[in-house]
Amino acid sequence: MWEITLTHYLTVAAILFTIGVFGIFLNRKNVIIILMSVELILLSVNINLVAFSSFLGDMVGQVFAMLVLTVAAAEAAIGLAILVVYFRNRGSIAVEDLNVMKG
Amino acid sequence: MIVQALSFYVFAAVLIVSGVLVVANRNPVYSVLFLILTFFNAAGLFVLLGAEFLAMMLVVVYVGAVAVLFLFVVMMLDINFAELRQGFVRYAGIGAVVGIVLVAEIIFVVSSGAMSPAAGALGGSPMPAGVTNTEALGNILYTDYFYLFQAAGVVLLIAMIGAIVLTHREREGVRRQRIAAQLARDRRSVEIKKVPTGTGI
Amino acid sequence: MNELLREYLPVLIFIIVAAGLSGIMVIASLVLARQKPDSEKLSPYECGFEAFDDARRQFDVRFYLVSILFIIFDLEVAFLFPWAVSLSNIGMFGFWSMMIFLGVLTIGFIYEWKKGALEWE
Repeated sequence: MWEITLTHYLTVAAILFTIGVFGIFLNRKNVIIILMSVELILLSVNINLVAFSSFLGDMVGQVFAMLVLTVAAAEAAIGLAILVVYFRNRGSIAVEDLNVMKG
Repeated sequence: MIVQALSFYVFAAVLIVSGVLVVANRNPVYSVLFLILTFFNAAGLFVLLGAEFLAMMLVVVYVGAVAVLFLFVVMMLDINFAELRQGFVRYAGIGAVVGIVLVAEIIFVVSSGAMSPAAGALGGSPMPAGVTNTEALGNILYTDYFYLFQAAGVVLLIAMIGAIVLTHREREGVRRQRIAAQLARDRRSVEIKKVPTGTGI
Repeated sequence: MNELLREYLPVLIFIIVAAGLSGIMVIASLVLARQKPDSEKLSPYECGFEAFDDARRQFDVRFYLVSILFIIFDLEVAFLFPWAVSLSNIGMFGFWSMMIFLGVLTIGFIYEWKKGALEWE
């Protein structure tokens, strides 16, 4: 109970990952919440990487977590830019309206 | 030990609860605020794991920049948010089933897996003793992982250019500041007139 | 408890005290004060006159562009910290590695300058 092991951290990351997937499932109308869910998923990946890095005594996990942080920030920036342009053109941010390119 | 364990449980519990509230909240502004709380608690977990630098980066980059960006976008788009929640209940059942199955599978795999004691020795860069976490990270990030580091730079460049291309618009009929032209003006480009009192120009 | 976490113990105590104190304040004012809310008391107060409009009003898109550029340069500075700490260990290769990184981002900076993304009009 009072000994925190690798499994504890991996469980927290697994639950957070599932919450992120769940959020993508649930929010069929709001793209902003979907982007936030993607951020949660990337955060759970980071928790995994740092936990393994710490328990194996290997720095590579933290280097990679740093890169995941970079990619997540870039993803948020581009995703929200696309969202802004989409809202400007369509006047809505519902996922169901994203079907202009459907044949 | 007990303080460490207790803070782990508190951080993990608040992390998960605020993660759920990010997804389930009715108002996206509150969702963003709970996202900030989630990142704070993840930073707490990182400190417990000994990754101080990443914890501080999480606070600086995510709370300071990404969450503010999300808030901007939520404020910028004028949307009827109550309408956006329709269909939440419709997908909640299947979502819950998929989610519970997924988390059960992951926890089963994680807790039943065993790690070879030799696994730690296989890593590329063992954690050096006696230096701070930031220094240990700096010792390998720029030299051993040169290509990954440069790839991160290119990712940032593309994000910057992409954001400008997507959102920047030239506005018509706006007088911009042209500092060079303004500074280059001298006495000859200004006409001085003496105006007699009471007559006007 | 190891040495690193011992250094963070004051931060933990600070967080506990801050959370506890603010919680006590909120709960005490809920419990002790007389609560008789009416619509006039709950309406937003704006120096005596009627509020002009909702606080949640739309922002201009230009704020968004500024905050994106802020994120990019924030991450650039984040990469500078470990480099500055361990510059004496990583030698010339590490130094030039960071210079290439900064050069790549400077290309983006020149692009946005030329494009006029930083101007406010």
